[in-house]
Amino acid sequence: MATEEKRKEILEKLRNAVIHYDEDTAKEASNEALNVGLESSDAIFNGLVSGMEEVGRLFEAQEYFVPEMLMCADALYAGLDILKPHVRKMDLGVKGSVVIGTVEGDVHDIGKNIVKMMFDVAGFTIYDLGRDVPLDKFVEEQMKTDSDLVCLSAMMTTTMGGMKKVIDNLKAKNPNIKIMIGGAPVSQDIAEKWGADGYAKDASNALKDAINLVSSLKKLKDEAEAKKVAK
Amino acid sequence: MIGAELTSRERVMRLFNSEEIDRPPCFSGMGNVTTEGLKKFGYKFAELHSDAKMMSDTAASSHRIFGFECGIVPFDLCVEAEALGCEINVYAHVEDILYPTIKKKLINNEDEMEISIPAGLQMRGRVPLVSETIGLLKKDIGDEVVVGTYVLGPFTLAGQIMELNDLLKLSFKKPDKVGKLLGLLSDAIIVIANQYEKAGADYITVREMGATSDVLSPRLFKNLILPYLKKIFEKLSIPSVIHICGKTNDIVTFMVETGATAISVDQKNDVVQTRQILGKDTLIFGNYDPYNVLVAGAPELVRETIKKCMDDSVSAIWPGCDVWPTVPPENFNAMMDEVKKYRS
Repeated sequence: MATEEKRKEILEKLRNAVIHYDEDTAKEASNEALNVGLESSDAIFNGLVSGMEEVGRLFEAQEYFVPEMLMCADALYAGLDILKPHVRKMDLGVKGSVVIGTVEGDVHDIGKNIVKMMFDVAGFTIYDLGRDVPLDKFVEEQMKTDSDLVCLSAMMTTTMGGMKKVIDNLKAKNPNIKIMIGGAPVSQDIAEKWGADGYAKDASNALKDAINLVSSLKKLKDEAEAKKVAK
Repeated sequence: MIGAELTSRERVMRLFNSEEIDRPPCFSGMGNVTTEGLKKFGYKFAELHSDAKMMSDTAASSHRIFGFECGIVPFDLCVEAEALGCEINVYAHVEDILYPTIKKKLINNEDEMEISIPAGLQMRGRVPLVSETIGLLKKDIGDEVVVGTYVLGPFTLAGQIMELNDLLKLSFKKPDKVGKLLGLLSDAIIVIANQYEKAGADYITVREMGATSDVLSPRLFKNLILPYLKKIFEKLSIPSVIHICGKTNDIVTFMVETGATAISVDQKNDVVQTRQILGKDTLIFGNYDPYNVLVAGAPELVRETIKKCMDDSVSAIWPGCDVWPTVPPENFNAMMDEVKKYRS
């Protein structure tokens, strides 16, 4: 078992690797984490995700832009690919599967992929339909996979109208479904008017929302674990 | 003082020449076909992109129906990429209005970036069709209003022919490689733009929305993209506009440096600040939100917004993007009326 000092050192290394978009160091630190017996989820959340949180802040402060964020995401994935297979599976009481995609007519998928990354981190089962997805496909996929969350993205004013149709169709089939929409032209107003449950206006906001979501899941998990230990 | 004798066309051309005009014109350099226009002819949006007559008819319709002060073709953003060899999707099967997109990219990885630009680009894809349409449109409404067209900027075009994800990362990791591609694409854009000039376009807009500060740092814009935009504008002989949407306040001076006759910004730009930075003589076109205001807003919101744009001292009332077709007629009319009655 790693000492607290060693743990801190590795977490800091992971965090910095993400912030400085250093894929090699992210891999190295992830292997190191496994070698010294660090809990994988600890390394993911308190190392990689913590780094990504800082990236979100830098993006908001306009020190980082989309290219930097994409490179940071690559570093996060470099670490995640090593760590994820070692995360202990446990039942959170949350089903945790999501259908995600960019609506038909829109071929932009960067924002969608950033959100997807955070669901990846959280261990969700992801049904990624990609981009330019025919509207009916979202409904079909949700029914087929019985996912509890559907995320729709549109980068252009010219395509976001499609999201409303998907929301209407999904809610008609399954009123309890949770729907998140995002993309540059979307507003809180539109999200409310169209009956979406969540909204993110850009990648940085999506990242923040997704981190919040993932953090609260993590908290649930920690609480469950604490209860187990207490027993 | 010049009187009411100005035709709309004269008004806009005088504006481009920095001559005195009676009021800011209300026009655009980007697509503005409406469902009202489509209805008038019984055309489907997906059919317009490949038929010169249909394209010309509908391009003239916003002027005919609402008095909008221009006619613009084409309506989509795929003409250049198609001429370079990409296949496009016009969504013929979809009932709703969707703009064409690129089906298959030309560059699939970093090693394929050294493309060769096909010879005779002005005769490839739909470049001849758009050129022909410019001629038809000139004949139809060219005496009354200006006829314009647009091309993509090199960075935005690069994003059409390769994965945007790769392009953005490489802009950071391998700027030389990206620069080389932008150089090639600039040459292609110049060939196409010159063809449109020959066809009789009165002005041309270069749409470089991929380089917005929402995506790229102003520094990267200046170092990597600005040199190629300059190269393009140097080769244009008609009035020109550089359009970038999203956050642009930190790059407006670079937009002027491109050499374009006017800059076009959207609703995210603080025009009062921009005017302060650029001075009273710079042509700033903008900056109403063509969806949330013009389509989704009530006529009162349209009037307020248009009035504010003029109070903020835009040189022309001009949308932040393509006018989305489903604009309610009462909103379009409210906009035109507000511009006409405005006295500063």
